[in-house]
Amino acid sequence: MVAALPFLLSNGAAGLVMGLTYKGLGLGAAHAILFSLLVYSATAQAITLSMWASPLPIVAMVVACIATNSRYLLMGAHLRQLFGGLAPRKMLPTLFLLADASWLMTSSDADRNGPDAGYLLGSSIPMAVGWVGGTALAYAAPLAANGPLRLAAALLPTMFIATLLPSQWKNVRSPWPWLTSAVAALLVARFGDPRWSMLIGGGCGTLVSMMERSDA
Amino acid sequence: MHDLQLLGVICILGVTCYAMRAGGYVLAASMRDDSIAGRFLRLAPGNLFIAFIVGGCLSGGPAGLVGTVVALVTMAITAREWAALGAGFGAALAASTIGW
Repeated sequence: MVAALPFLLSNGAAGLVMGLTYKGLGLGAAHAILFSLLVYSATAQAITLSMWASPLPIVAMVVACIATNSRYLLMGAHLRQLFGGLAPRKMLPTLFLLADASWLMTSSDADRNGPDAGYLLGSSIPMAVGWVGGTALAYAAPLAANGPLRLAAALLPTMFIATLLPSQWKNVRSPWPWLTSAVAALLVARFGDPRWSMLIGGGCGTLVSMMERSDA
Repeated sequence: MHDLQLLGVICILGVTCYAMRAGGYVLAASMRDDSIAGRFLRLAPGNLFIAFIVGGCLSGGPAGLVGTVVALVTMAITAREWAALGAGFGAALAASTIGW
């Protein structure tokens, strides 16, 4: 949990920006907080916000949530490899709090210290508290989404994941998979839909890893 | 918009998102460790890290790129996350202030 404390700040700032947007849209505090608590996905919440209309296009919103959150299928399947020995009644509630960063941190920690489901839960809690708390704060305090706040919300998650790279580099046998991931993600983000850059870029790099290794 | 209708939409979207989070875990129960999909999943994390960072740097603009590079270099030198994040955010804020 301590390792993920910086996310209390970054997710708090991002949740605050999201809350201010909900507030501007006329949503009440209870609905906005419930949105952040139950949906708990910046991409899904942002895309459903962009589709906001009366009446609400529910089917289109559900399809958009599935499309933007399909990466969680891959993350969940990977977590099964790490924690397959645990009872589903322990893992399934924890997955409610699964986020990109908590999965990335848990994967990195599993490489260093072995699988630990407690690490997944512990790293997820500050992120969720920050996100939901930030949304609530938007209604409780007279705040505006200013420069440093927006900057912290946008950049800290990327910077935090960048700090995990040196430990990951130790397991890398050649630079080609990472280069492939970077180039593919760049192309998808630049010429396609940025929301797919992580999944497609990472998928391309992983295919190169599979072609290079016969035993991993 | 009716409160109850809004509540229903939030619940539907919440269930959809949870289904995506838990779906991969549940479906993977039928997958063998030595299968192609199993190998793919074992090798995926580092590559996804890189793709995540590239996407984040692009959306953050030059200030994001500067901050991420400074955070990465500081982490490689000091092995301290708080130092890396502080240096990275400071660099991004400075870059943003001068109009990058």
